[in-house]
Amino acid sequence: MAIIEIEQLSKSYRVYQKREGLSSAIRGLWRRQYREVDAVRSIDLRVEQGEFVAFLGPNGAGKTTTLKLLSGVIYPTSGTARVMGYVPWERSNEYRRRFALVMGQKNQLWWDLPAQESFRLHQQIYRIELEQFKKTLAELTDLLSVGELLGRPVRELSLGERMKMELIAALLHSPEVLFLDEPTIGLDVVAQHNIQQFLKYYQQQRQITILLTSHYMKDVAALCRRVVVITSGAIKYDGSLVGVIDKFSGSKILRLLLAAGQSSDGLERFAEVESIDLPKVVLRCRRGEIPKMLSSILQQYQIEDVAVEDPPLEQVIANLFEHAASDSSNQVSL
Amino acid sequence: MKIAKSVEHPNYIQVFATFAKNSLIRNMMFRTNFVLESISSASWALMNVGFYLIVFEHTNSIGRDTGWEKYEFFVFLGTTWLINAIVQAFFMPNAEEFSELIRTGGLDFALLKPIDTQFLVSFRKVEWSSLANVLFGLVLLAYGVSHLVGRSTHPWQIEPITWLLYPVFVFCGVTILYSLMTCLAATSIWLGRNQTLYDFWFYITNFSRYPSEIYETGWGLPLWGIFTFAIPVLVVVNVPARLLAQPLTPRSPSEWALAAYTLLATVASLLASRWVFQRALRSYRSASS
Amino acid sequence: MILRIALEERLVYRGDFALGTLMRFLPIITQIFLWWAVFQSIEGRMAGYSFEDMVAYYLLSMLARAFSSMPGLASTVARQIRDGEIKKFIIQPVDLIGFMLLGRVAHKIAYYTVATVPFALVFFLCRGYFTEGWPPAIVVGAFIASLVMSFLLGYFIDLCIGLIGFWFLEVSALLFVYMLLNFFLSGHMFPLDLLEQPWRSLVDFLPLKYLAYFPAAIFLGKIPQDRLAFELAIEVAWLVAFIGLARWLYARGLRRYSGYGG
Repeated sequence: MAIIEIEQLSKSYRVYQKREGLSSAIRGLWRRQYREVDAVRSIDLRVEQGEFVAFLGPNGAGKTTTLKLLSGVIYPTSGTARVMGYVPWERSNEYRRRFALVMGQKNQLWWDLPAQESFRLHQQIYRIELEQFKKTLAELTDLLSVGELLGRPVRELSLGERMKMELIAALLHSPEVLFLDEPTIGLDVVAQHNIQQFLKYYQQQRQITILLTSHYMKDVAALCRRVVVITSGAIKYDGSLVGVIDKFSGSKILRLLLAAGQSSDGLERFAEVESIDLPKVVLRCRRGEIPKMLSSILQQYQIEDVAVEDPPLEQVIANLFEHAASDSSNQVSL
Repeated sequence: MKIAKSVEHPNYIQVFATFAKNSLIRNMMFRTNFVLESISSASWALMNVGFYLIVFEHTNSIGRDTGWEKYEFFVFLGTTWLINAIVQAFFMPNAEEFSELIRTGGLDFALLKPIDTQFLVSFRKVEWSSLANVLFGLVLLAYGVSHLVGRSTHPWQIEPITWLLYPVFVFCGVTILYSLMTCLAATSIWLGRNQTLYDFWFYITNFSRYPSEIYETGWGLPLWGIFTFAIPVLVVVNVPARLLAQPLTPRSPSEWALAAYTLLATVASLLASRWVFQRALRSYRSASS
Repeated sequence: MILRIALEERLVYRGDFALGTLMRFLPIITQIFLWWAVFQSIEGRMAGYSFEDMVAYYLLSMLARAFSSMPGLASTVARQIRDGEIKKFIIQPVDLIGFMLLGRVAHKIAYYTVATVPFALVFFLCRGYFTEGWPPAIVVGAFIASLVMSFLLGYFIDLCIGLIGFWFLEVSALLFVYMLLNFFLSGHMFPLDLLEQPWRSLVDFLPLKYLAYFPAAIFLGKIPQDRLAFELAIEVAWLVAFIGLARWLYARGLRRYSGYGG
């Protein structure tokens, strides 16, 4: 049995449509105008124990909503989901004891108190054995090297340090399933890297199941073998990271090194010119046309060297999101 | 919500103690603020007493044959302050925070914890500075009671049972106010903003701060009915205060009936608050930042 | 122009306004019941007030408070000083005191365009409590004058407290003390006539009574007609004193401020 099973899960919000003016505001007291917004549309997903899965998608695609549904924070409109056999939104204590959610944009630690006070509270709420608690805390603080910061009020910590504390708080009760929503948002490169390394190590050691959403392709590339692309509330792709390029990028990058004295004039006839920095030229063309185009170029120009590459992943994803964004804006205007 | 028997529940008392401890640490970090708040809430209380001192310069009792003479009324005032201070210390900061948690989506974290969510949001913070008013209420009570016991014309004795019943009814009063506050705070899940709700809270509880006898006439009767039966804020202070301010016997049967009703109203309003809270959680949408 | 912008801004919230104004009368209801019970037990007048007078007093002092209360003024001024927003008044040829006064006038006008209805409604419903009917024209005149002055006095006292922010960054504690004294000694809580000597005379010497008690007392004929002019003259003196104080604080404050180099 898969550890996470989602079937036809949907969540739509009723958004109150505000109208201008006082008279319509008063009318709004009796009859409100609502608009249905589908945040998640009939998602199906299975995740096996020990997987590290990334959710990719533009803002508002439904990644966070999915994580919140799986955490039981919000109720679905329809569909089912089971995590370790529990229905998340029943919020049984048993379930809540076995998973954790970390959100990069919200914090749960007491702002004015040292993090260790919040940790102690967690120990009591989760009923962690004192010995176990001490051991886990020591291990986590050691891995994240924040031991000396435990006694400092959270508000005095840097964003990166705070995120590490949030992670510790979430992992104190050794969850078997972990949901990470933008855990590295707003962090500098070093802190990002630290957290990546930590997550990677921790996941491999414990073989826990992690679902991650992130805007940073580096996070995803470093951590996840499996990628789920969500746009406009629906799953568009589910597979390996490299597969994303095959599926979503119809183009290839062609790098030419022109011979000395060879002009680049007229290359735009064959393909879209990305950049010209003589003697180097970068072209972009449709995948199927590579052989034909390459042979015509080789006939007409003197070329020293040729390389054909896939476009960079980040670009593919960015394009994908842009398309999705324009798609969904079309839908709204319809 | 089904909870399997085998699951260990958190030790609620211990968790609450930690909440209280953390709040105290926090309060002590902003010590000047703490002192100022203690002083300011105590001065409101003093002013309130000052007002009634002035009133009692001109009259012997509030209402004819109501039994609310000066020192009896001090018992009433003491009870009012005691109950309100307890509510302010334990629930007011949490109710405010609850609306804030809904607005910012911070409620997510409360929902994740393997602990009763209503407990978690209701007891998270303790405003220790309000305990100054608890003290103040107790002093006022002691002052009033000692005069009643020590006066030369029919002094009265307080039966031991009164000392047992009084805390019970104070607890009932606190619970009723807590339930009302929880209901009001929970509605901010639907309404979004809550400024008017707090005004509403203030105006409603304002009715509880006076002896119920003043409403029991003419066009006060509908008010008395509403605030006794629909929103039972009138019994909050009145029942415990009357218990302590008057001799235990003789009492009219209606008073015992009202006391019994108070117990009932406490249970009912607590259940109502749980129901509203659960309903509200279902509509929670978790604001994403 | 300044007036219009402030007016427009205020009128946007008119719905809240009307409701809020009606809500303001709710605490009075409990007060009235309390007094009713008290008058039941004394059977007669209390410090010259009958039960009806007492109700009329609360309604009138409520009206006066609507003129004289300046919600958020002192804290706004103090905040502007703290955040350095006050600088724009140094650079631009705008006078802070006049500017803020106009803002408040606009605020009050906007408030009354909406609040008149609930106020009129409540006064009409309670007309039976004004047992004397309308007072003579001269008293009404003095009443109106005292209302206008209560607005000005309220403004300048609050402003002075805000301007103290030039010296102490945190005025909230001071403001709280003022609010407390104001509540108790302005006559908002009870008619000042109820006070025993020597408190009664002491309160008479304070300017706070003009913020709530004084207009109501004029209307109810508590102040003999031959003393009206004299009493109003004292109020004018207080007003002039506070205008002077505000000007002085502002000038000294600005000098101190620019002394820091902003």
